[in-house]
Amino acid sequence: MTMQYTMEIGGRVRQVAVRRTSHGFIVSIDGRESNVDAVRVDANTWSLIVEGVSREVIVTSGRNGSSIVDVGSIPIAVSLNGRRHWSGKDSVEAAGPQRVAAPMPGKIVRVLVRPGDAVRARQPIVVIEAMKMENELRAARDGAVAEVNVVEGQSVEAGALLAVIAGSE
Amino acid sequence: MKKILIANRGEISVRIARACREMGLRSVAVFSECDRAALHVRYADEAYPIGPNAPGESYLRIDRILDAARRADADAVHPGYGFLAENVEFAAAVRDAGLTFIGPKPEIVRLMGSKTAARGAALAAGVPVVPGTGSPLPADASDAHIAKTAEAIGYPLLVKAVAGGGGKGMRTVECADDLASALRAARSEAGAAFGDPAVYFERRLVRPRHIEVQLLGDEHGTVAAFVERECSIQRRHQKIVEETPSPAVQPAVRRAITSAALAVARGVGYTNAGTIEFLLDERDRFFFLEMNTRLQVEHPITELVTGIDLVRWQIRIARGERLDLDPERLLTPLGHAIECRIYAEDPDNNFLPSPGRIAHLREPGGPGVRNDSGATAGAEVPIFYDPMISKLAAWGEDRATAVDRMRRALAEYHVAGIRTTLPFFAWLFEQDAFLRGQFHTTYVDDLLKQRGGRPFVEASAAAEEVAALAVAIQTALAPNAAGSPTENSRADAAKRWKAYARADGLRAGPA
Repeated sequence: MTMQYTMEIGGRVRQVAVRRTSHGFIVSIDGRESNVDAVRVDANTWSLIVEGVSREVIVTSGRNGSSIVDVGSIPIAVSLNGRRHWSGKDSVEAAGPQRVAAPMPGKIVRVLVRPGDAVRARQPIVVIEAMKMENELRAARDGAVAEVNVVEGQSVEAGALLAVIAGSE
Repeated sequence: MKKILIANRGEISVRIARACREMGLRSVAVFSECDRAALHVRYADEAYPIGPNAPGESYLRIDRILDAARRADADAVHPGYGFLAENVEFAAAVRDAGLTFIGPKPEIVRLMGSKTAARGAALAAGVPVVPGTGSPLPADASDAHIAKTAEAIGYPLLVKAVAGGGGKGMRTVECADDLASALRAARSEAGAAFGDPAVYFERRLVRPRHIEVQLLGDEHGTVAAFVERECSIQRRHQKIVEETPSPAVQPAVRRAITSAALAVARGVGYTNAGTIEFLLDERDRFFFLEMNTRLQVEHPITELVTGIDLVRWQIRIARGERLDLDPERLLTPLGHAIECRIYAEDPDNNFLPSPGRIAHLREPGGPGVRNDSGATAGAEVPIFYDPMISKLAAWGEDRATAVDRMRRALAEYHVAGIRTTLPFFAWLFEQDAFLRGQFHTTYVDDLLKQRGGRPFVEASAAAEEVAALAVAIQTALAPNAAGSPTENSRADAAKRWKAYARADGLRAGPA
């Protein structure tokens, strides 16, 4: 029996098919086939021998139902059958408002801007304290502060929206 | 001495408990709420809770730690590094409770703990210091006075916390315009980290190296110095790689700098383990920077090249034993050792902390590798404390061999579930100037600036295909557990076991 999957990895969609054989699997990725001998070592660890090349990978669950596969020390997010892909960091898009979010849980020690302030790229917006260090969160581009959602002394969770900066155009 | 309470957590608590076990002493751990399942608690012979997660309510609570010592009937306290290790009140309270403090006397902790008083002690011993104010800046100093003081020392300068350490409460100021904000930041950070917002100014030397000398002093007047450690590989003033011996220190400089360290230590009657930090300029001139009156994070590399167990000696000295080590041996390293501080930080997100649960952990091993770790698979890296996971050290018969071993060990080290600085180190250990031993304290910051944010973690097409293979096969074998292979529910565990059995069956022959 052949199992068919659609996967998204690094922004690219791939068609993957798996077929069992008497001594392992034949896996085809976008039509290219490989012989794979696979053994699960423990709950997360797989030993794969792909056409004679030995690989050890660790599969753990990521956000939104995706899997994170560590190949060597490189974590690779894989989402299956069109599940939403999570990039792994708070990326700032090239256009549109910048959303300054807390990268980790912590305490807001300083708010350095007010709504309406013009800000320059790399200008510090908020200082958050976590793990005994003060970390400055900076603007990615020039713009104007549209929203400030926190006050000094407030504790925030990871991902909390701290401020929004509108583009300068 | 029969039972030692370790007033710390994480890898250093485990390190000290190991020395206790080797010496036939019982070890007592303390823990905050989130550390109940931490390795240091599981490893120790006894363990006592000391309060909630915030350090100020647990690991910094002298009363609760002494209470734990009483309940455990401990007769000595080892403070480790960080937390209360250089706190005068703690050292005094331990002594006043009739317990042995494994470290220097409170008077010495006070003297050398004040960076300004320590500078005075160095000058008294005839050792040069970095030009600076020499005394804390008054809290009510006027802006004009501050600007004039800074001008007199000259830019670039450093604002440093009087009670500081580990780069906290320290800021570089390039020009007068940046002075006010740096001062504000340093005072606030120092106040939060050490409970003392006092700061002072110091000239920033151009392209210096950070060289330090490990010392041991017994209670009978003997002080010994060890071959220097090179700690110039720093990110934002925090050491991240240390090695010994320094690739820049010639034998004559080694004699001079270790003699200077001995002069300072003897001058103040230093006992137990301590480290004197120096800056070394490009013309082999060195300046006293500060003294750390405790065991240093990077002590393992000194142990690797001298064969001396520093923690064991700390305990022996505290018991009143005599230091009978051959001074020549301590200054003659066998081979070379390097250490990387592996942090739960995301190098692709400006090294911001990446706390969370370690889903999977495989630690490196084999020839010449030592990993002092406080982490285990399944454990959380809490947000409340320093995010260091472990200190990975490699020893080799020379520097090149030690570098090869470190690269191999970095590649063996797998941590899943959180981001770590492992990919950053793998990159650093390919850099030309680093490999040639040509660097200074801002080398890494400059290098990162040049790199301009190019990601450390970049998956190759081949690696992405392997990831696709793994997910496809895992899903084909356990379709209902797709995408959630680590969930802990009973049903899932049962499914996983079925998957194991099936995978095994497949390996054995046709299904």
